[in-house]
Amino acid sequence: MNEKSNFLIRRIHSLLAIIPVGLFLCVHLCLNSASLLGGEDGYTWYLNVIKFMKSAPLVWAAELIIIAIPILVHMIYGLWIVYVAKNNVLNYRYGNNWAFYLQRITALVATAFLVVHVILQRFLEHEPGAVLESLALTLQNPLYFILYAIGFLAVAWHFTNGLFTFLISWGVTVGDHSQKVCRVISLGLFVVFACWGIAILSVIGGFIPGFGFENI
Amino acid sequence: MANDKVISLRIKRQDGPKTAPYWEEFHIPYKPNMNVVSVLMEVRKNPVNLQGKAVNPVVWECNCLEEVCGACTMLINGVPRQSCAALIDKIYEQTGFGKQITLAPLTKFPIIRDLMVDRQRMFENLKRVKAWVNVDGSWAINRGPRFADREQRWAYAISRCMTCGCCQEACPNVSNKSKFIGPSHIAQVRLFNTHPIGEMQKEERLNALMLEGGIQECGNAQNCRQVCPKEIPLTKHIAAMNKETIKYAFRRWRYKDSSGQ
Ligand code: HEM
Ligand code: SF4
Ligand code: SF4
Ligand code: FES
Repeated sequence: MNEKSNFLIRRIHSLLAIIPVGLFLCVHLCLNSASLLGGEDGYTWYLNVIKFMKSAPLVWAAELIIIAIPILVHMIYGLWIVYVAKNNVLNYRYGNNWAFYLQRITALVATAFLVVHVILQRFLEHEPGAVLESLALTLQNPLYFILYAIGFLAVAWHFTNGLFTFLISWGVTVGDHSQKVCRVISLGLFVVFACWGIAILSVIGGFIPGFGFENI
Repeated sequence: MANDKVISLRIKRQDGPKTAPYWEEFHIPYKPNMNVVSVLMEVRKNPVNLQGKAVNPVVWECNCLEEVCGACTMLINGVPRQSCAALIDKIYEQTGFGKQITLAPLTKFPIIRDLMVDRQRMFENLKRVKAWVNVDGSWAINRGPRFADREQRWAYAISRCMTCGCCQEACPNVSNKSKFIGPSHIAQVRLFNTHPIGEMQKEERLNALMLEGGIQECGNAQNCRQVCPKEIPLTKHIAAMNKETIKYAFRRWRYKDSSGQ
């Protein structure tokens, strides 16, 4: 019992990925969807949401406790998990083995994406209008748009496939049937997240006109 | 030779645990109904490689010759399986007649020589998770309670595990970078924790399953399930034990005091 074991940290790693990190991802996407609201006023809606979030009391404490620390713990131990695996998709070409491999590839892409995303959107600009402007200007460049989209797709895969593995890791889905059903649901969720995120990015980058972003 | 058809073999060889591996090719006269073990026996009878040079016979292990001991497990065309159960004609059905067959030792175990590996680690880990039924105690257990029929069915399937190592070979999380005991052993804990007498040491096994290299090392790649020659639904047993270990972890914490129980 006193012997050293990574059981606890491994389960904490798994739990943190859902609560709060996965939940935060969903909230984050919902808030960013303000840009899709109100036709021409999408820009204004989005700006107001950013202003509101920035002015909420104790927002720095929430950022630290709900977002930064859990993501960092998940990320740092996650990098160790990525290192430990000896991937073998070329010899064992099963769907779930590819998903396992992609979970690790997307972990690395998500790490790079999150570092860039947080520096650009959280630390370089602080005033709401400037945050939004720098984001829109970045996304207007097709190259940055594609890189951003890849980063987001990686996160989306990582989260939705993670839901599938989470349910197994906690012994919720046990037999083949429930695991297969959840595999299909997780793939479906990936498609939903992918379309949703790319739509937000396209609107902010001005690729889908009519939401008030194309004039930035 | 009346028969000019040959079985072409490419074998990954290694003269000792520390020496460098090399590939060697052999041609063996084809006969119907051979398996990889009988082909290797032909190599042993006449160990001359494709270049016509007499070489040391190829070393491999086998024992039961009916897919129950697991000793003859090796990579056949890259897939871990029992060489005694690998029929040449069946392989040719998939690859086409006469296509070269590659044989290589398992990669997740130390090599002793040629195709022979040291699977000791698996047996040590079986001891670690106490994969047995305790019958020697200070009191008589007698015959004990019987398995309920509904459990007996799936438990019997786990009992067919021969510790062959196929699942360990295919698992991306079994490697020299981790101490993962591997999928087979997680299923064994489920078997002995379900056994009506084995159940009496349930906590000890759960505890062992949560130590370094325990169940937490599984990352759900599910290859183990695909390659098990005994078709044990390993992923199901892993998920079930995930739940048991988490429940046990909470219980252990809630009950913990100076008495240790
Ligand atoms: C947006 C941020 C992220 C979210 C929402 C997220 C979510 C998840 C979820 C839900 C799981 C499944 C947990 C389980 O199987 O029990 C998971 C697993 C994993 N995550 Fe993340 N994650 C994020 C970022 C990262 C980052 C930046 C890394 C960096 C290395 C990472 C590394 C991993 C690894 C290696 C696993 C596999 C764990 C295993 O199979 O045991 N994650 N993640
Ligand atoms: S499901 Fe777990 S034990 Fe089985 S191959 Fe995947 S990682 Fe290994
Ligand atoms: S579980 Fe299957 S593959 Fe694994 S050691 Fe047992 S018989 Fe071999
Ligand atoms: S010799 Fe026993 S399994 Fe092949």
